[in-house]
Amino acid sequence: MFLREIKVNFKSFLIWLSVLIGIFLVVFLIYPHMFNKENMEMFDEMMAMFPEEVLKAFNMDIASIDTVFGWIKTEGFIFVLLIIGCYASILGSNILLKEESDKTIEYLNSLPITRSKIVLNKFLCGICYVVLMVLGLSIFNYFGLILSDNFDHRSYLLLSITPLFSSLVFFSLSMFLATFTHKTKKMLGISLGIVFISYILQTIASLSNNVSFLKYFSIFTLADTRYVITNSALNMNIIFISIILTILFLGLTLIRYNKKELI
Amino acid sequence: MKEMLRIQDLTKYYGKVRGIENLNLVLNKGEIYGFIGPNGAGKSTTIRSIMHLVNKNSGKVFVNGKEFGKDNLEIKKIIGYLPSEISLYDDMTVKEILDYHESFYDNIHDRRKNLVNRLQLDEKKKIEDLSLGNLKKLGIVLAFMHNPKLVILDEPTSGLDPIMQNNFFDILKEEKEKGTTILYSTHILSEVSKICDKVGIVKDGHLIHETTIEDLQKNNFNFITIISSDIDKIKKELDLPIILENKDIIKFKNDLEINLILNKLVNYKIDKLLIEDPTLEDLFMHYYN
Repeated sequence: MFLREIKVNFKSFLIWLSVLIGIFLVVFLIYPHMFNKENMEMFDEMMAMFPEEVLKAFNMDIASIDTVFGWIKTEGFIFVLLIIGCYASILGSNILLKEESDKTIEYLNSLPITRSKIVLNKFLCGICYVVLMVLGLSIFNYFGLILSDNFDHRSYLLLSITPLFSSLVFFSLSMFLATFTHKTKKMLGISLGIVFISYILQTIASLSNNVSFLKYFSIFTLADTRYVITNSALNMNIIFISIILTILFLGLTLIRYNKKELI
Repeated sequence: MKEMLRIQDLTKYYGKVRGIENLNLVLNKGEIYGFIGPNGAGKSTTIRSIMHLVNKNSGKVFVNGKEFGKDNLEIKKIIGYLPSEISLYDDMTVKEILDYHESFYDNIHDRRKNLVNRLQLDEKKKIEDLSLGNLKKLGIVLAFMHNPKLVILDEPTSGLDPIMQNNFFDILKEEKEKGTTILYSTHILSEVSKICDKVGIVKDGHLIHETTIEDLQKNNFNFITIISSDIDKIKKELDLPIILENKDIIKFKNDLEINLILNKLVNYKIDKLLIEDPTLEDLFMHYYN
């Protein structure tokens, strides 16, 4: 069943990975031409006009965008986090629900397989694809950076795996929420809503200390790129929380799915 | 006779709407049980409750003497199921889904080949390209290819052409001879008389009548059609429920002795008299009304 799931979800994986690679390919191709000395001066003047909080929200206070790696550390990773977050969330909401919306669940349920095993097979497949997505993009960007400029390899490698933690939680949370409904369209809206609301909360939280508590309501807090850039290390507490949350949502999915009416 | 399926006090409500209520049913080994009733009577709800597709409110289901829990794989392995509207993975070919099905069971390849040949299925075709009839044939192969001991069929012949229907009935008869128990849900009554041993009639979520086909056909009523110029007097004399009335023709539903009727009719001028046994449809309507 695991191999069947891998096969079914391969096409959408390729499409999403191609979109991400496409964005970065364009960046690698045009970036060297965008930032010459003259442009940089203009850009520095423009940056100086922004309040510090806004720069902080895009990591621009701790990294410069005069190199491709600098761009990746700032705006680039916003794209990565958002797109991989959307992919993980949609995958999580569809992977179980598709059987119900396509009505193939009547056949699958008649086979000698437990509901827990169905969930676990689909969960493992989803985890594989989220990891492959992060890995695929990391490898592409790694070679892109090698060809473009000098960069801190350790810092890049650590940074490149940070989307994994938030995406695993998006995936498992969406999978759990999908056990409450039979409607894929409704679930698609909810799962994408969670990703964008998380992003908005994360951005607002970084704008002012008064609202910094909002970061506790954002899953993107689990992709602590700021900590990685400033410390050149992964925040182990956050990794631990991400793993706990992923396992928690998997457990809740198993409980709910075992009680769910399938049609 | 050994029991293969026992449904005990099965109740399922969809919110406040009743699906089935306190439904009891026993199927013995090697029996083909016609589960009949019109749309909305509770046939599919019963089947979906047995298969754990919906959560029953109360009641128990026993298969081969053991309670059938959601994750009881031993029991799942001996059940074959054909839903009324079969949906399979569109991206697969017929061969791929048969291989997939085979991967869950042991040593069923010969049986698969046999069924595919008999039902003339093209294994190279993609499932999304199959017609309704071919999809049904594939569903039948999937329901029977793992040599189940209990087969649950929900409206199995819809979409099958008459030749394939006969092929299918032959398969059912062979399965019966092998000792397979079959719950056959349908609203096509002619199928029931062809292949079923027993019949259960469902109405408003309850099993209202259960009998063998022979007993069902040993009817306790008939229909009498009379053509006569004395039709008004005959109507008063017999005082039976009228099914049809048109000028000099009248059709009664009769549950009295035929001799008694004939004795009453001797005093009138009768042009034509027709006494008919009820069809299965008539019997069905009799229980339903």
